[in-house]
Amino acid sequence: MAQLTLDEVTKTFQDDDGEIIAVDEVSVDIEDGEFLCVVGPSGCGKSTTLRMIAGLEDITRGEIRLDGQIINDQPPARRNVAMVFQSYALYPHMTVRENMAFGLEESTDMPDDEINERVEQACKDMGIFELIDRKPGELSGGQQQRVALGRAIVRDPEVFLMDEPLANLDAKLKAEMRTELQELQHDLDVTTVYVTHDQTEAMTMSDRIAILNDGVLQQCATPLECYHEPNNLFVAGFIGEPSMNFFPTTLEGSTLKGEWFEYELSDETVAAVEGTTDITLGIRPEDIEFVQSDTRSNVFDSTVHVVEPRGNENTAHLQFDESMDDQFIATVGGMKQLKSGQRVKVRFPENAIHLFDTASGEAIRNRTLDEIETVESVV
Amino acid sequence: MSIRDGGFIDELRSTENSRIGLYALLLAGIAFYLFPVETAVMTMFKTESAFARTLPFAPPGTDGFTLDALTTAWNTLRPGLINSLLMAIPATIVSALLGSMTAYGLTTISWRGQVGVVVLIIAGIFIPYQAVLVPLAQFWFQVLPGLLNGFVNTVFGFITGGNWQYPSRNGYVQLLQLSITHAAYGIPICTLLFRSYYQSISDEMIEAARLDGASAFSIYRNIILPLSLPMFAVTLIYQFTQVYNDLLFALVLVNEPASQVATQRLAALTGGVVQSFNTTMAGAIVAALPTLLVYIMFGEQFAKGVAGE
Repeated sequence: MAQLTLDEVTKTFQDDDGEIIAVDEVSVDIEDGEFLCVVGPSGCGKSTTLRMIAGLEDITRGEIRLDGQIINDQPPARRNVAMVFQSYALYPHMTVRENMAFGLEESTDMPDDEINERVEQACKDMGIFELIDRKPGELSGGQQQRVALGRAIVRDPEVFLMDEPLANLDAKLKAEMRTELQELQHDLDVTTVYVTHDQTEAMTMSDRIAILNDGVLQQCATPLECYHEPNNLFVAGFIGEPSMNFFPTTLEGSTLKGEWFEYELSDETVAAVEGTTDITLGIRPEDIEFVQSDTRSNVFDSTVHVVEPRGNENTAHLQFDESMDDQFIATVGGMKQLKSGQRVKVRFPENAIHLFDTASGEAIRNRTLDEIETVESVV
Repeated sequence: MSIRDGGFIDELRSTENSRIGLYALLLAGIAFYLFPVETAVMTMFKTESAFARTLPFAPPGTDGFTLDALTTAWNTLRPGLINSLLMAIPATIVSALLGSMTAYGLTTISWRGQVGVVVLIIAGIFIPYQAVLVPLAQFWFQVLPGLLNGFVNTVFGFITGGNWQYPSRNGYVQLLQLSITHAAYGIPICTLLFRSYYQSISDEMIEAARLDGASAFSIYRNIILPLSLPMFAVTLIYQFTQVYNDLLFALVLVNEPASQVATQRLAALTGGVVQSFNTTMAGAIVAALPTLLVYIMFGEQFAKGVAGE
């Protein structure tokens, strides 16, 4: 168990066209026992960051510290980290037992019977004890996944590193393993860095999420903070499924003029966005209200284009102007009926909108919520 | 075609027809390849006169049958066979082992200047035997003895009294030299074979082993080597056949009659003034036995290695 610190960690690669910055001055403090998810689109530098922590890639600049000790130049084996790979990376010629014992044999001088005991215990914990003398080729994907996890656990490392460990599983198994992993991490209380491109995984599993784009850290916060108080357009668009709707507008007086609508802002909000004229308005699909006839402001006419029923809710693709390509998404309860082609009135409540500086992408005003940490309790 | 329109039966019939065609083709292939062998085997059991009387591939009649040719060939070749095995087996194992280590160092471990070394090794495959004959002979006959004499007498002069001599090039020294030459000459092709195999091994697995605390050598010993067994079968068969069948290096490096290898003996057997086809064929069959045995022993592994399983 340990505290892991990334301090302005930078990684550059040399290319024919010069220098490519893969990771750009990323700084994160990961607390003892914390579960941190690193998310971002493909090629954003998340795997490179993880590989630098593991010691598989050199660090160009910056420091990585484990409990205050700089580990930049330590070889992977000396860092006391265990990694789970996307491809599981099991040794195909060894049995489950040998796979799990290999790390202990190579890195410690533990006697054989103690190694054996620990391997068997880890197998029991992972529910793969009956498979212990099989080889990876005789196991299913989910079972191999468990062996890979078991191989990491048996080492009793200070930090777990996981590189998209669930990416190769089918949807149902993935959801199961997600819960199981979360429980496991909680029980072992080991600092964990988990890389994924799947924002659902990040939202559901982690204590905090670090969102990377083009090698730059966009935000590092709790899942709910990232969801409700995104730092910028990228985070707002990346977190949440379906994504937040964005409309480019210009501020004129107290009105946001968009291509298809004019949005009245309250004086309070106008004061908050003072000085910026090019503003992107963002609203989450579930915050769009369907109204009958409403005399309040900020109600717009639109047409339902496509409805995707999901059972618990319907995802409606709406259009302001049927002849145009513009589409935005709203979700309504699964029992509410909507038909393609139907004319509806939608309302964007002011307390639910996010405003971003279009030029820089920075959030100027996020939705108003009472303290996120005190979201109402279920019972 | 579906079952409903009756096409299923047609399909089945056409599958059967194509299957018959396939087997016919395969049988023809077998006959084509085995025909010369069969001819050789038939000829080796014929007397000289029976050979003149009958078609080459026809079996000898009861009056034309003899084991003389086989006995002569066996007696002439036997010492050569033993010498060949003594020389070829270590050469094959050493070049496969060194090739596999070199390939590991050039594929799985990354270091500066690697590409240059790979290029040199690949170039090594294409150096013709003839081009190295003279330097090779000079190396073994003059350069190495000179160097060794100088080295031993300088460094261990107080023990040797300054008059240590490189052992005369007796039979065993010659065989050893031939074996080392073949081992060295085989390294490039073995490296190339192993390298393409190692490139297909998952990087993540090697990284997992590094994180598990394994050293470069331990990764080779515990992960790479066990996974290379099918490839070893391929290189062992290939390299053994190459080394065993070579005559050129043997002619240059081995002149002691007692240490001649099988190919030299075979040349002597067939090189007489009068051509006796039955002895020639018997010699060829006897000389081919070891390579045949190697193929039979490692055939399955060989197929796996070539198929890249």
